[in-house]
Amino acid sequence: MGKSAPASIPPTDPDTGGGPAGSTEEGTAPDPDADPRTESADAGSPRAALELSGVTKHFPLRRRNTVALDGVDLTVEQGEFVSLLGPSGCGKSTVLRLLAGLEEPTTGRVRVHDRPPAALVNDHRLGIAFQQHALLPWASIADNVALPFRVAGRPVDRARVTELLRLTGLEEFAEARPRQLSGGMRQRAAIARALALNPEVLLLDEPFGSLDAVTRRRLNFELARIWSEQRITTLLVTHDVEEAVLLANRVVVLTGRPGRVRHVEHIDLPRPRGGRLTREPRFHEVVDRLTALLDGDLASRAGADEGATAQTGRRWLRRRGR
Amino acid sequence: MRTVRDSRVQTALLVAVGAVLALAAMEAIGRFQLLGRGWPPLSQVLDILHTPATRTLLGRSLRTTADEAGLGLLIGALVSVVVAVLGTVLPVLQAGLDRLAAVLNAVPLIALGPLLIATVGREGSPAVIAALAVGFVMFVSTTSGLEAASTAHRDVLAALGASRTTTLLRLRLPAAVPMVLDGLTQAAPAAVLGAIVGEWFGAPSGLGLLLVSAMQNYQTELLWAAGLAAALLAIVSYAVLGTVRSLMAWRFR
Ligand SMILES: Nc1ncnc2c1ncn2[C@@H]1O[C@H](COP(=O)(O)OP(=O)(O)OP(=O)(O)O)[C@@H](O)[C@H]1O
Ligand SMILES: [Mg+2]
Repeated sequence: MGKSAPASIPPTDPDTGGGPAGSTEEGTAPDPDADPRTESADAGSPRAALELSGVTKHFPLRRRNTVALDGVDLTVEQGEFVSLLGPSGCGKSTVLRLLAGLEEPTTGRVRVHDRPPAALVNDHRLGIAFQQHALLPWASIADNVALPFRVAGRPVDRARVTELLRLTGLEEFAEARPRQLSGGMRQRAAIARALALNPEVLLLDEPFGSLDAVTRRRLNFELARIWSEQRITTLLVTHDVEEAVLLANRVVVLTGRPGRVRHVEHIDLPRPRGGRLTREPRFHEVVDRLTALLDGDLASRAGADEGATAQTGRRWLRRRGR
Repeated sequence: MRTVRDSRVQTALLVAVGAVLALAAMEAIGRFQLLGRGWPPLSQVLDILHTPATRTLLGRSLRTTADEAGLGLLIGALVSVVVAVLGTVLPVLQAGLDRLAAVLNAVPLIALGPLLIATVGREGSPAVIAALAVGFVMFVSTTSGLEAASTAHRDVLAALGASRTTTLLRLRLPAAVPMVLDGLTQAAPAAVLGAIVGEWFGAPSGLGLLLVSAMQNYQTELLWAAGLAAALLAIVSYAVLGTVRSLMAWRFR
């Protein structure tokens, strides 16, 4: 990696990205203040629940300095569902960690409901599921799901815990320990834990990463239903383009390292979005366009390596995801 | 599963073979007087157990030492755990506590003996020395145990808005259990040693006293019997706590 990392955004779009009305191309502005356009402005809603403006994040490691995020502007409206796509290592988890108050931005501003992220966290109003499930090994699944109640110093709502376990298909495993569950079941338990206190903001980091396609789709629909009912402001990190499109109001695509917002896609597909929609051409049109965008990024990153065609890039993208 | 069990059986067998060989060597060295008159054959040492008076004497001494070692282990472990927790709750204290523990550990327990006789008295000093012998290893293992929780777990608690105390109770203490149990296993034989050293300075009873008096009265067999009893106590305490550890620790990993 070079010091100032190849800011390798291809000057032209991949040909597939014609640019229908819904999509806005982001010219990554190195200086955030010089860029007057904000996403919330044209969306018309004044309430940005989550807001990153001009955020850069460096990780100084001995002599090397990793630039994880470079001038990221991102807002998520109150009650909006935004999916975050991007190649591995582009800083998606870092965005979530910034919003959860687990990291400080090197420069720029991070706001949650117009306050520092810590404020919402201290009110126990944030739900988060990490890439690693991070369940407590000594506690049963039910106790793990009940953890947010205990941390918040509230009496455990047993009915709520049972409901969440049923929702995630873990009822029979309420008394099991995390080690007795499969990877996918642990991820589901982590999602149940994130939802326990009916959070105002939900941050999900590849929560369905180790699920089979069928369970994954089922949980996708579950999540879509929960979101439709409660309109929890949600930011979902995923590698699955279909999942991103299926669930979101908007899909934000980041470039490879360092992460920048490369493209924002408004998804105007009607809700509820069921299994039928996933077979419709207009769904695939969006998915293909976004996939091509990610492929293009990969191809340009491959640089000198002539062998890297968009095809191999797409396959590579599918394979990683664990 | 199978291989784990197999390797356990293998270890047990090796231990048994080693023990039999050591006992046989003891017997042989004594039988053939390889190391002089001070080393009696094992059978001769065991013979004195036929005398009821000797048996009760040994039994009572063993009991006393075991009680003192146990009490010392308990006190030493409790105090160290509390101090270690205090050090993590109030980071200001941490550096000072680390140093204090290191200094205390550097003082030879033998040197503390006379001092303790003068302050705690003959009856109390074995348990106190046992506690001191245990303290450092327990402090160190608890301190590192409290740091053992993974970053992912800390992040979860942090993102849920957990206070320091909640994080300590819900995460750091449970995560420390395996290391604390490791520490206890290591500390148990040290507690036995500490108790015996404490008795050496004139406690009213115990294996340490028995060792001293047998030595002064040239009762070679009794001296050996007392020594073997002490070794047995240390080994048993280690084995018992080791079992507790293997039964409990996995739950917390
Ligand atoms: N604590 C850290 N210390 C040093 N570097 C870090 C740290 N956290 C992240 N990074 C670096 O920041 C970059 C972005 O990491 P991040 O985890 O946000 O990527 P990601 O987009 O979530 O990747 P993936 O899809 O593989 O999960 C990576 O290059 C990573 O090496
Ligand atoms: Mg990640």
